[in-house]
Amino acid sequence: MHDEPLLEVRNLTVNLLTAKSAVRPVDGVSYSVRQGECLAIVGESGSGKTVMNFAPLGLMPTGVTTMLSGSVKLEGRELIGLPEAEIQKLRGKSVGFIFQDPMSALNPVRRIGRQIAEMAELHLDVTPRAAEARALELVKLVGISDPVARLRQYPHELSGGLRQRIVIAIALAGEPKLLIADEPTTALDVTVQAQILRLLKDVQRRLNMAMVLITHDMGVVAGAADNIVVMYAARAAECGPVDKVLVSPRHPYTQGLINAIPRREDPIGSEFRGLPGIPPTLGAPIKGCALAPRCELAVPACSNSRPPLVRSDDSAVLVACPVVNQGKAAA
Amino acid sequence: MTQAPVLKVEDLQTRFKSVQRGKFVHAVDDVSIELYPGEIVGLVGESGCGKSTLGRTIVGLEKASSGRVLLDGVDLSALSGAALRDSRRALQYVFQDPYSSLNDRQTVGEAIDEALVIAGTRSPEERDRRTKELLDQVGLASAVRDRHTRELSGGQRQRVAIARSLAVNPRVLICDEPVSALDLSIRAQVMNLFLRLQKDLGVACLFIAHDLALVRQAASRVYVMYLGRIVEHGSSKELYDRPSHPYSQMLLASAPEVDPRIEKHRRGPLMIGEVPSPTNPPSGCRFRTRCPLAVDDCAKALPPSRVLSPGHTAACTFAADLHRGNRTALVQQEMSAP
Repeated sequence: MHDEPLLEVRNLTVNLLTAKSAVRPVDGVSYSVRQGECLAIVGESGSGKTVMNFAPLGLMPTGVTTMLSGSVKLEGRELIGLPEAEIQKLRGKSVGFIFQDPMSALNPVRRIGRQIAEMAELHLDVTPRAAEARALELVKLVGISDPVARLRQYPHELSGGLRQRIVIAIALAGEPKLLIADEPTTALDVTVQAQILRLLKDVQRRLNMAMVLITHDMGVVAGAADNIVVMYAARAAECGPVDKVLVSPRHPYTQGLINAIPRREDPIGSEFRGLPGIPPTLGAPIKGCALAPRCELAVPACSNSRPPLVRSDDSAVLVACPVVNQGKAAA
Repeated sequence: MTQAPVLKVEDLQTRFKSVQRGKFVHAVDDVSIELYPGEIVGLVGESGCGKSTLGRTIVGLEKASSGRVLLDGVDLSALSGAALRDSRRALQYVFQDPYSSLNDRQTVGEAIDEALVIAGTRSPEERDRRTKELLDQVGLASAVRDRHTRELSGGQRQRVAIARSLAVNPRVLICDEPVSALDLSIRAQVMNLFLRLQKDLGVACLFIAHDLALVRQAASRVYVMYLGRIVEHGSSKELYDRPSHPYSQMLLASAPEVDPRIEKHRRGPLMIGEVPSPTNPPSGCRFRTRCPLAVDDCAKALPPSRVLSPGHTAACTFAADLHRGNRTALVQQEMSAP
C-alpha cells in the first residue's frame, strides 16, 4: 500500500440547480481510498451517496447544472475544474463503474463479447482482435462458465446474476485503478448477492484496485469493505474502519441503522426496532444537525450549528454528533 | 389450531404460455397453503420462484389453470358476478411499490374515499368518518388528508396504500414485498403497523418477501417456495432453527451478517448458480441441479412432502436426516461458475 491515497475527497459540496429549484445533495464531505482498499458509503435514498461519487466524474442527468466545490484528487490530480474532455478520458479507463440494474447498463442489441471488447479497444489502444481476446479473459475472470458461447449471446439471454458479472467484466476492461460500484447487488437475490459480492472482493484483491461500494444495505458492508462512511442528509455522520464502526457504532444514526436490522434473538412476533420520523427532504442546507428531530440524544444545542466530524476516543473513528463529542476538539 | 382457515389454497396451478411455442411456464405448480384468522404467514423464495404469481392468483389478478382458492370455505372459482365481487373484497393486496400503486393526482383523502365508494359506502358522512378512522389506524396525521399523494414520502405512501386496502374491512391481506421499496429506517415503522393490524383487526396476512430476517420476526409460520412449488413449511421457530430442506438451509445461510467479526470469517457455502427456467424445470426434484446432496434418484420423481414434526413438512428425500441434523446441505464449496 502506498502512503498517498488513490482517491482523496476533501470538503466536497455539490449544488444542483434546475430551472425550478436548487438543492445541495452533498454538503462538505471528506474521505479517501487507498489502492487495494474498499470503502463503503452507506446511506438511505436521498442521502447524497450516489451524487457524491458521480458528480465529480461528470455523470449527472442533463438539464441539471452541477456546481462543485472542494477538492477531489485522483492519483494526485484535481478533478474539480477539469474540462469534460479530460474527465471523459478517465471514465472507464482509470475509473470503472458498476451500476445497480445490469439490464439497463447493457446494450440490449449488441452481443456481450462486443460490449466488453469495445471498452478494451477504446481505453487500452489495442487491435480489435486483441480486444476480443481480452473480453474472453475477462469473462473467465468473472467466473462465467462456457465463456466462448457467452460472448456470442445477448443480454436478454442471461440471468440477472450473469448480467451483473458481465457489467463487472466491462468495468474491468479498461484496467481501472478505482472501481465505483453503486448498489451492485440490490437488484439481485440474496443467494446471487453473496456470489457477486465474493466475486467483487476477489477481483478487487487480485487486481489490487481501490473500490468504493455505495449501498443502503449494512449487510453487504461487513464482508466486503475495510472502511465505511455513513451518510445522512448530505453529510457524513460517522466514518472509520468497518470493524470498529459496525461493531460499536457511536453516532445515534449509525446505531439506529444497525439496531433496525432484525436479529436472530428477537422473539417471533415482537416489535421491530427502527428510527422514529422520516429523513428530511432534499432542499436548503439544514442549520444544525439533520438528525436532531429523530434523535433520542438531541439537546437544544443540536439545532444551532452543524456538528463537525470529531475524532472519537478511538482515533480511527470520526463522529459528527455534538452530544457524543462533548468536550472533544474538532478534527 | 382448531379454527377453520380463512383462506385455503388447494393444488393451485398457474401456467403462462411461453414464448417457445407449445410450452408453458409453470409459475405456480400444485401449491396448497392455509391461512388462519389473525396470523401473519411468510412466503419466501428467490425472484422468479412464483411467489408473487401465487399471491396474484389468490386475489384473482391472474387466472388459475387448476386448483381452488377457498375463502371461508367458499370456492371462489365457483362464484361469478356480484357474489364474486363481494367475496373478493375480503381479499386485499398491498403492492411493493407505493410510488406506482397510488394516483399522484389524488389527495390522500380522495384516494381513501375512492376505495370506500367502491366498497359501497354510500353516505358521505359515513365515508368521512371511515377515512378519519383509517388514517388513524395506519398512523397518519389527519392533516395529511388534503395533501397530494405525490408529496408524501415512501413510508407515508405505503401507509395510504394500506389504508385503502383496509377500507373494505378485508379478512386477508396479501402483502407483496410491502417494505422492500422503503428505506431501512422506515421499514420498522411499517412492519410494526402490520403487527398492530393483525392484533387489533384480526386480519390474516400472507407476507411475501425475500428478506428472511424480516419474515422470521413477523410471521408465525413460513412457506418456502422454489420454482413454483412449496419445498418446506413450518412454524418460524422450527423452520429457522431446524431448516430441513437443502434449499431452505442454503437460503438461510446466504443472508449476510452485519457483524464484520462473523462475516469476514464466514466462508459459508454459496448457492451455485440461479433458479432454472420454469419453462423447462428439472425433472424430479426441482432443486436437484443446485443441491449439494442430490443423488440419481432425485431426477426420477418429485420427492413427496415428509412430515418432520407436527406442522413441519419438507419435500426432500433426506428431510428426516436434515431435520435430525445427521446431514447438512451446508458443505464447503469452491466458488464455481453458474
